[in-house]
Amino acid sequence: KAGKQRVSQISPEKQRALFSQATYVWRYGCLKHKRDPVRVFPRAEPNTDLCSKTYCIRKVAAQVDIVKCKCAIDVRRRVRTPCILVTKKRGDRFHYILLTLSSSNQLEPRIKFKPPYQMKGDVCILQGPTVLWRHEDSVFYTSLRAEGVRKIPMEMSHCLFGELSFYKGQVFVLGLQKPSDQSAKQSTSPTLGYFLEDGQVFDGTVVLPHPYLCITQCMLALSSEREGGVLKCAVIAATSHKQLVYFENGVARDACQLPYDHVEGLQVVNTGRNGCLFVVLFKRGDVCAVWKETFQVCPNSQVCLLHVDDFLGCGTDQMLLLFRDQGVARRPADKFLITDLCGISFSCGQASEALKTTPSPQENYLLTLQALESRLQSGLIVLQDLQRDVSVKEGVIQQSVQVLTDVLSGRETQLTQPATGVSLSLLTETGQSSAPAVIQTQSQAFWLPACRPSTPPLSSSSSSTSAFAFSQPAAKRSRQHVASDDPRARRLAVTAMTKLAPLLTSGCVKCCVMLHYTRGADALSPVSKRAPVVLHCGQVAVDIHSVFQKPLLKNPLIKTDEVREDLLSLLTVLDRWVLHIDSPDYSLGDMDGWIQKRAGCQKVEVSPQYLLLDSPEPSAAMLLHWHQITPFQGELSIHSSQLQMLRFLDSLRAFLPASCAVRPVKSARSRSTAQTLALALENEVLSLRKCAASLAREREEGDEGRAGPEEPPEPGSVEGLRRCREAWRRDVERSRTRLSALVDVGKYREMIRIVSDVQTDGDLAALLYAQRTLFS
Amino acid sequence: MLSLLDKWVQENNELANNFKLPEAQEATSPDQNRTNLRQSCSEFHKLLRKIQGIPPDAGHAELELSVVYNASVCFIAQSQIVEAELLLQQATERVLQMTGDDPDTSDPLVLWRTVLKSVRKTAFHHHVLYLLSLQWAIWLTNSYLKTIRDFQEEISALLETLSGKVGDDCRNETKAKFPDVPKLITDPRRLVELLQICTIITQGAERLSEGWSSEVLSDLQAASTLPAARALVAYTHLLSGACLAHMNRPQMALQCYKTALETDSHCVCALYQSILIYRQLKNSQAEIQTLRILHSVSNTKILLLPSSSEPAMAGTHLLSPSLFLRSQSLSSLLSVPSALSVLHSLALKCVLHSRASEGVEHYLDLLAALHSEDQHRIGAKTMTDTQVHAEVSTLPKLPRLYLEAGAALLMAQRPADCMALCSEVISTTQDLLPQKVVLDESETNAAATEDVKEEGEGGLAMFLWTAAAYLLQGHCFTHMKDWKQAVTHYTRCINLLVKVHYKNKVAGFQTQIPSADTDVQQGGDFCILQRLKGLSFAGRGISFTQMDRMKEALRDLQHSLQVLPEGVGAGLWCGEVLWRLSRRCDAAACWEKTWSLPTQPLTETLPVYVQEPQTGPLLDSTELRHRLHELHPV
Repeated sequence: KAGKQRVSQISPEKQRALFSQATYVWRYGCLKHKRDPVRVFPRAEPNTDLCSKTYCIRKVAAQVDIVKCKCAIDVRRRVRTPCILVTKKRGDRFHYILLTLSSSNQLEPRIKFKPPYQMKGDVCILQGPTVLWRHEDSVFYTSLRAEGVRKIPMEMSHCLFGELSFYKGQVFVLGLQKPSDQSAKQSTSPTLGYFLEDGQVFDGTVVLPHPYLCITQCMLALSSEREGGVLKCAVIAATSHKQLVYFENGVARDACQLPYDHVEGLQVVNTGRNGCLFVVLFKRGDVCAVWKETFQVCPNSQVCLLHVDDFLGCGTDQMLLLFRDQGVARRPADKFLITDLCGISFSCGQASEALKTTPSPQENYLLTLQALESRLQSGLIVLQDLQRDVSVKEGVIQQSVQVLTDVLSGRETQLTQPATGVSLSLLTETGQSSAPAVIQTQSQAFWLPACRPSTPPLSSSSSSTSAFAFSQPAAKRSRQHVASDDPRARRLAVTAMTKLAPLLTSGCVKCCVMLHYTRGADALSPVSKRAPVVLHCGQVAVDIHSVFQKPLLKNPLIKTDEVREDLLSLLTVLDRWVLHIDSPDYSLGDMDGWIQKRAGCQKVEVSPQYLLLDSPEPSAAMLLHWHQITPFQGELSIHSSQLQMLRFLDSLRAFLPASCAVRPVKSARSRSTAQTLALALENEVLSLRKCAASLAREREEGDEGRAGPEEPPEPGSVEGLRRCREAWRRDVERSRTRLSALVDVGKYREMIRIVSDVQTDGDLAALLYAQRTLFS
Repeated sequence: MLSLLDKWVQENNELANNFKLPEAQEATSPDQNRTNLRQSCSEFHKLLRKIQGIPPDAGHAELELSVVYNASVCFIAQSQIVEAELLLQQATERVLQMTGDDPDTSDPLVLWRTVLKSVRKTAFHHHVLYLLSLQWAIWLTNSYLKTIRDFQEEISALLETLSGKVGDDCRNETKAKFPDVPKLITDPRRLVELLQICTIITQGAERLSEGWSSEVLSDLQAASTLPAARALVAYTHLLSGACLAHMNRPQMALQCYKTALETDSHCVCALYQSILIYRQLKNSQAEIQTLRILHSVSNTKILLLPSSSEPAMAGTHLLSPSLFLRSQSLSSLLSVPSALSVLHSLALKCVLHSRASEGVEHYLDLLAALHSEDQHRIGAKTMTDTQVHAEVSTLPKLPRLYLEAGAALLMAQRPADCMALCSEVISTTQDLLPQKVVLDESETNAAATEDVKEEGEGGLAMFLWTAAAYLLQGHCFTHMKDWKQAVTHYTRCINLLVKVHYKNKVAGFQTQIPSADTDVQQGGDFCILQRLKGLSFAGRGISFTQMDRMKEALRDLQHSLQVLPEGVGAGLWCGEVLWRLSRRCDAAACWEKTWSLPTQPLTETLPVYVQEPQTGPLLDSTELRHRLHELHPV
């Protein structure tokens, strides 16, 4: 290390110089560990009687190196004292001695320790005095209190030493935790802090956020407090990115660019009214000051030494700058500068080289590999299941197709092994009418080839009805039971076929699927009687959208009548919205182009103004028609389901300019006039029927009220005959009045009013329709 | 506890929100906006400094690049281009560090190409493209059109990616609602759209000025369908019009100008360009009509301020298009003369195209406007001071305006008002008249005797104005049939004119009036001088005729014809005098010669007051022909 001076090789004169340096340090309460401290302070102190007292050095054997000089607080004596760490080599052992300067200007050895290695890298002397160093991912320290070398019970790949200004003072170590098995999984923050005093571990990010730890060259805690166990502190740190960063509770509040590289030390100068200054020392002897409030930088170069103190005794700190270009070898204080920026304590920065130790990846890789492997295994199993499932489904589909084509061509289905006693039936939902109705279906059942023994019988049956049956775990289990009961593990596929037309009168229909079967009387079954069993297999939803658009979806690029028909039916089936888009300030640009760039968009060749937006989901097809009126406005017709429309609008909103107004064109216009007329006529018929019915019903109710209960007449007697006649007469009377009913005038008028109102609407619609068709 | 990254994202989003907040309020003054912008800028910059203080990390890239984007947008909005460019350069270098590529060049183009190549597969590819769009903005602001052309391929790819990211749109939108996505203060897509159209407009204007009109036209027409603010769309139509005008298709050009105006009613320059076309087509009716519209538009005082004609738009509010439309050729196309110049043109056009009474009204409006401006002006010296107002600098000098107005008044049969204006001119100039003026006809090198000329020219102008004023007064008296007074004023005019000496008599000094193109000052002055002479002699001659002083009349009329052979009035009256003096053959020859002259309508190349008076005693040509017929019964 360049900073070491070999004491053994130097003459007594130089040894004296070493002490004089210490004296100098004592004088100014600080010491700077320069490249050549002896040259920096040659005989700076005329205090010669100190030089003769060289006993502590005399004890030192042949090879003595200065490792580090720094001022630190001596906790026992409660003074700030210069400390010198020296080392000597005895054989291949290294002895370290920490010397401090006593009040009587005597160097005394305070701590001795003999680590079984040579300290390399950073050594730090902090309050206590405490010596800290790192060796192979472990941090060691020793102090008067610690009695011997202690090791921090954590492995750290990168660390920083610092002290907080609590009332007693706390030395801490910040480090990147070495990724171990546990930490890789659970630790949230890899940055850890450790207090030497009480061995407390804390989250290091409250001092320095994670990414800064590795790049920090120098750190200084400005203030710190502990509130209920929570550490709060303000820290400045100089980073290898030539920045001075100010942190408050682990948050980077401010940062400024430093003019030079390689920061060696940081100091705070309290200039009183003018606020605080941070003084940054660089390795090559440059200095710069940063105002705390504004984080403005004022650099100063060619300084060999800097001191902060109240030299002038005015109550605030000043900065003493000693310039390098002076003949420092002889008169160090020849040229100096005391400004309002200089100070008292000279903190020796450890210019720690940013050790970029990447955490050892071996273990990590191993763990990752293991995890991946187990996932792969389970995935493979699922995949195999699925494949089996698929193959079964394919079989069913093939057979179904075969059956269907047979039906269409009028042939008799040739099943390999037709099964009997098994059928499927479809029931309409109960919601539609009071009782579920059975839809006429044609069922087919056939045996499938047996599964391999290894195959779990999980998916043997569910596929036979439809995918919807998966939602019925109970049913699934029972079927499994059925299947596994069969010793030959034969599986049965049941298909049901029905006409779609009755199902699709309304948009979407849900049907329950019921399976009927009779238990076979085989040897294992104790039940001899064949009892029919009905099993609910779930629901099938049939949507008109998913049925009608298929041919169009296949290829909108061809131009056949069929596709044209499909387009028309799609236009009829889909809901329609017409939006007027008006952007007063900003032109809309190429809307058509934007729509066409969307995934799955194709032009419908038979009617090129329509764009088909297709997506793999069922019933998600969308027809779009953009009609540009001016570059600033246009009309967009959307034919789709409502959800699709909303989704589309959401992305459209991002495309349209912010000042754009989108409003739906009134439904009267969106609906064609023909539709309006049809609706009006329908309404007319309905209301007429309703009114007439209500009139008739009322009269009848009145009739029945008059008639009262009637006992059946006895046909044999005269009285009975009379009664019969009476009843017959009444019946004739009633049927006559029913044919030409007398109704209440007020009610009749009311009815006529309602009907004529409705008729007016119808007339209006008819007029509009006539206009449209005549003039267009 | 939030991680460092989350906190920074939060900080960025707070800044972005704060920034958007005041913008939404209409009431904020531009000054406030500027302060707000400056503050946001330094905040973003500070945040960026913190983010860039830690080693480059691809995990942070989206945040870092977003903050670079925001800070750069702020810088560009404040025209701090150098700062913005520095940020972009640092960002590209850091991106290369993230991807592990080696930036072995300092050439920005190569650097960008390397960056684009290395981030193609990364998650922050789009963010790098956002920065590229800012680089594009900087190039455009600096008018580095060649660089932009060199980078055309990358820019097209950028446009393709940013405008074509429809699939992501949905996801991005939903993502933007979460707080952990760094917000951008300007929508990059809108920015790119703005840059695209501004680039086409600027390039179009430049190339048009280099004469590549047909090549530019297709680009511009394609650009007119791009999404953009109204004003910019209007500019594309305007430039298309300019191209067509260059290609000698004035009608199509007019159509384009019309479209421009329809697109953006604030696009006054389209109106002005159409006026120029109408002028070129000599369609004076349409020109007057358009001038009238332009004048009424200018009068509303909204549109001539350049700031208000700037397109205001939502979204890209921050970056005004004027930042990117800095081409010289474009600004000359977009410039419109001041309201007063328009008014003057309108008045003059009306007068020249037999709408004297309307012209008079416009002239009076103009003089009133000048007068009121004159009142506001501090340090007003003389009427001849040309700089009435910076805006009016294209206007002719005030005495000339007075004289034009006077001539218009005379045409509108208001001789008394005309005389008042002329007296005004005379009273102002009288004291400033030099004793003698030398007109150096051979002078072509203006620089040689500039100061002499300065003096001489001022004096000459003064002379000519005063003489014209006297001439007009003579016309007025002629109009009122006060022949004696007329003679007096014509004489004053002549007396003044003879004080002008020629330094070098050139052969062509009696030639025709220079054609419209040669509007050289000296030539013009010489012409005016000749015309003044001719007209004043003719006027005096005619007056003498009315007073039956035939000899003097003949002398003056012949003098007039000598100076101004094409004077119709002088020719006819000279014949009449000869006739009355019983020199019938001479009279006939004189008339024939006059009739053989091409008829000259009022022209713009000469001041209206030195053109033949439309009033005064008239000779009926048919009657003269009849007389001739009697003389030579064929």
